Amino acid sequence: MRKFTALGLIACMLSIPALAQNKIEFKEFTLDNGLHVIMHQDNTTPIVVTSVLYHVGSKNENPERTGFAHFFEHLMFEGSENIDRGQYMNIIQSRGGTLNAYTSNDITYYYELLPSNELELALYMESERMLHSKVDITGVETQREVVKEERRQRYENQPYGTILPETLKRAYQVHPYQWAPIGSMDHLNAATIEEFQQFYKDFYVPNNATLTIAGDIDYATTEKLVRNYFSEIPKGAKEIYRPNVVEPKKTSETRDIIYDNIQIPAVIQAYNLPPRNHPDSYALSMLSTYLTGGNSSLMTKELVDKQQKALVVAAIPLELEDGGVFLMYSITNMGVEPKDLEAEVDRLIKQVQDQGISDEEFAKLKNIMENNIVSGNSTIAGIAENLAEAKVIYGNTNYINQVMDAYSKVTKADIQRVAKEYMDLTGRVVLYYLPKSAQPATE
Amino acid sequence: MKKIAIAFVFTLLATVGSFAQVDRSKLPASGPAPEIKINEAETFTLDNGLKVFVVKNTKLPRVSFTLVLERDPILEGDKAGMSGFVGEMMMAGTKNRTKDQLDQEVDFIGASLSASSTSMFASSLKKHQGKVLELMADVLYNPVFPQDQLDKLKKQSLTGLAQSKDNPNAISSRLSAAVLYGKNHPYGEVETEATINNITVEDVKSYYSTYFKPNIAYLAIVGDMDKAEAEKVVKQYFGNWQKGEVPKFTYPMPQRASKRAVALVDRSSSVQSVINVTQPVQMKIGDPDYISSRLLNQILGGGSASRLFMNLREDKGYTYGAYSSIGADKLVATISANASVRTEVTDSAVYEFIYEIQNLVENGVTEEELAKAKAELSGSFGRSLEQPATVANFALNIDRYNLPKDYYATYLQKLNALTVADINATAKRLIEPDKFIITTVGNGAEIKEKLAQFGEVIEYDNMGMPAKKLEADASMTAEKVLENYLAAIGGAEKVAAIKTAKISMDANVMGTPLNLAFVYDSQNGRYGQKLSVAGNVMQKTTLADGKGSMSVQGQTMEMNAAQLSEAQLNSYLFPEAVYKANGYTLTLDGLKDVEGTPAYKVIIASASGAKLINYYAQESGLKIKYENPASGDTFYSDYQAKDGVLLPMAWTIKSPQIPVPLEAKVTSMELNVTVTDEDIK
Repeated sequence: MRKFTALGLIACMLSIPALAQNKIEFKEFTLDNGLHVIMHQDNTTPIVVTSVLYHVGSKNENPERTGFAHFFEHLMFEGSENIDRGQYMNIIQSRGGTLNAYTSNDITYYYELLPSNELELALYMESERMLHSKVDITGVETQREVVKEERRQRYENQPYGTILPETLKRAYQVHPYQWAPIGSMDHLNAATIEEFQQFYKDFYVPNNATLTIAGDIDYATTEKLVRNYFSEIPKGAKEIYRPNVVEPKKTSETRDIIYDNIQIPAVIQAYNLPPRNHPDSYALSMLSTYLTGGNSSLMTKELVDKQQKALVVAAIPLELEDGGVFLMYSITNMGVEPKDLEAEVDRLIKQVQDQGISDEEFAKLKNIMENNIVSGNSTIAGIAENLAEAKVIYGNTNYINQVMDAYSKVTKADIQRVAKEYMDLTGRVVLYYLPKSAQPATE
Repeated sequence: MKKIAIAFVFTLLATVGSFAQVDRSKLPASGPAPEIKINEAETFTLDNGLKVFVVKNTKLPRVSFTLVLERDPILEGDKAGMSGFVGEMMMAGTKNRTKDQLDQEVDFIGASLSASSTSMFASSLKKHQGKVLELMADVLYNPVFPQDQLDKLKKQSLTGLAQSKDNPNAISSRLSAAVLYGKNHPYGEVETEATINNITVEDVKSYYSTYFKPNIAYLAIVGDMDKAEAEKVVKQYFGNWQKGEVPKFTYPMPQRASKRAVALVDRSSSVQSVINVTQPVQMKIGDPDYISSRLLNQILGGGSASRLFMNLREDKGYTYGAYSSIGADKLVATISANASVRTEVTDSAVYEFIYEIQNLVENGVTEEELAKAKAELSGSFGRSLEQPATVANFALNIDRYNLPKDYYATYLQKLNALTVADINATAKRLIEPDKFIITTVGNGAEIKEKLAQFGEVIEYDNMGMPAKKLEADASMTAEKVLENYLAAIGGAEKVAAIKTAKISMDANVMGTPLNLAFVYDSQNGRYGQKLSVAGNVMQKTTLADGKGSMSVQGQTMEMNAAQLSEAQLNSYLFPEAVYKANGYTLTLDGLKDVEGTPAYKVIIASASGAKLINYYAQESGLKIKYENPASGDTFYSDYQAKDGVLLPMAWTIKSPQIPVPLEAKVTSMELNVTVTDEDIK
């Protein structure tokens, strides 16, 4: 008997996950029209988040009509057959809610956060958007002006604001990731109303959408309400266009100078990444934290504190479905030449490639990752978004409960390996951002 | 059989029913309002007086510890700014750990730890709670307050202060605090270079040992921990914390202005005016008017559907956003309505602010507005409950403000029971439309006269001090100012005798040495300017043979006609001698306060519209400031005689392009030397 107890104890110890993650329960179903629905019940607070993820981003656009997906994010607040123009936001707010939306290269995401007795309203609003949103001349013209202002504010008027579009343009030769979600104003100006209406018919269909409801709900009632409001929406008539091109590995470095409205030069480096659901993504994300995450990270300590060559340095893995970019940017300190800073950044990358990282640093990385993952599920809005992405990007809603396991599989050697494999100097993009005043006169 | 058939039909009906077409022509009605359950915080008190609130929430394996000190506001006087250093000084190392060790240990477990003069905060995953508590306790009991950290903080603070003197929003909030509360009130006193420089390590230590006492402290524990465990860990880490007497303070209640007045800071480079229409108010959480004042503010200027936003932004387009607030504070709070507006519409915007406030008080709110405001505030109250810290905060407020135990449990009932009449009564009780102070930071030359219609305009400087009364000599003209300047530096004749000059200056920016070199040969139309860092030329401007070029970090650009004409104007060591002859228009724009010195402001404009602004001291006649909206302001001082002409040996350059003011000192100055082509290159 003793033996068994001891064995049982060991088994117990083995089954306790090494890392802390509370399981997130959910229920899901799919309507006949293809709409996938995920529900997560959490009755602790009487609020409910309702979100719709449309699996359309800038990568699904016609290369001659870039900016459509993001433009739709604006257009979809114009109203519907039953919701008057400009009232969408007002209706949600006057029932005590908030709402927002965003567009990436891969997806468009809408959500409303309301008191839980307004669930039906939220479902009505989202089903109106999916069934018969207003896509007309007036809306298109209004939103064109708004998007123009947004482009000015966020890209043109923002120091270093064009980093993403300029980097993507060079990091991809064949894949539609080569343009950023903001797209081209010329394309939006040239597009006809029929083209906008066609985009709506092609992508804003239930079989391209994931509806997630999280919060103070009852599963049965919620499912019934969802069926009431969404069942009548017809399935899309044709197959959803998804690019299936593979970006070839680059064999030479791309190097350029961008003159911008800035005072202080910046150095950008970008390395192509594997698809977002590739096992190496976890090691790469830990690598970025090792390099620049927090005051005690390698590059922050060495380049910002000690050598004071940089004002800031950041490594951001922009994870995308078909393979994003590992973006590193650093801003030079007073009187430091961009090439001197770049040389130091490269030296530190090489150091990781040659020597790997210490046991202590590896332990610290695991702790930081664990804390980040746990904190990522601290609100129902965060949980809804993570559930939807788990389903759409990773093909498995329960992935939300497996993130921690995936990270715990990463070894110290993996960090060094991915640094070598992906931070390949020969295929990277390097951009220097310099003040416009430094631009040579052109004839 | 029949039974079954009926049941079958029923099922069928039910199924059909559940897929029934919904009526899309109208919005679904709200369901029955959900019961808002607010978790009770559990509480206990240690023998040393520490009050503990525990809000258990096991949704995530995390736990946080927030320590709050409840003391009366303190007047810091000639050490104003001291309490702002306490938190970072505590985090700068302990008897057991250097700052680096502390940072590393906090990072290692992915935790957060921070401190301020009235609080400490620690959070981590549940499994690291022992470690994070050990670190928190070490900082609480054993801080060493290193001198070098204080030096660093003072330097940062002085840099911040220097930047804030040119930041219109910072000037506006300093001005509002000073005029509402006065400088002898904890909320009105102002940090200056002098008060910051006065602060010593001893002051910080003495503050720490006076106020970090358990008998004035609350500890809120939120997350994966129950009361039993909390009692154990609190006893372990905070049980031996020694209590002590903590001083109490009272202050006279600030009075409202007897009539409406305008407080103006003239910031001549402004293109926008920062307007704040404000008056003090006695309002704290739990007051009878507290909840109705939240609704009142929501309607006036609480968001993007409020009256102010709709009027000033949506209807008039004066601003990107106009908002209001009604504060709540144990001592005294403010009512304020504010916006940043284009210079040209400053008076129109103030007019609309006053109109909206007056209209609200006189005519009240509508049923529709109240219903919407209730929905918005109930919604945000409900959403705030998702954060377990909110519950801890409620428990803390109930204790701090002596509220009924069910104050928050019945908050929404109280909110929803309020009527239009209640809100209107609150508006009349709280707001006195004719006793507002309208603070404005903007271009005085453009707005001062127009603001006089709203009340007496009193000018203040950028530190919130009453501006010096400046009396310009009525017979003064721009030409006379320039004549006086030339006379003051040695006379036109001696000035004319200086044909060439080579000047070298040294400066230091955050540890990086810079050199500025100038070569003047105006007679031959030549000029050179170089900025070098550690011997490398970073920036260069040259004029020669009727052409000009600029280069930055090795990239060279030829100047166009407009740039050339501006550069030529700057290429004279004494441009005052040639302005008239070169067709520039001179305008005198009154007497201004330049860092405490009254000075004449002269605007020099070229035919093409390029403008240059110089300030000449009223008393000495010397040029003390050159203002350029693009490249920044240059202040001249330490005039010394060279070849019989007074020249400034110290320049201070403040520019949005550099983080700290650049202090440049002349290291060599050669006059009437031969200038070669090599010197210009």
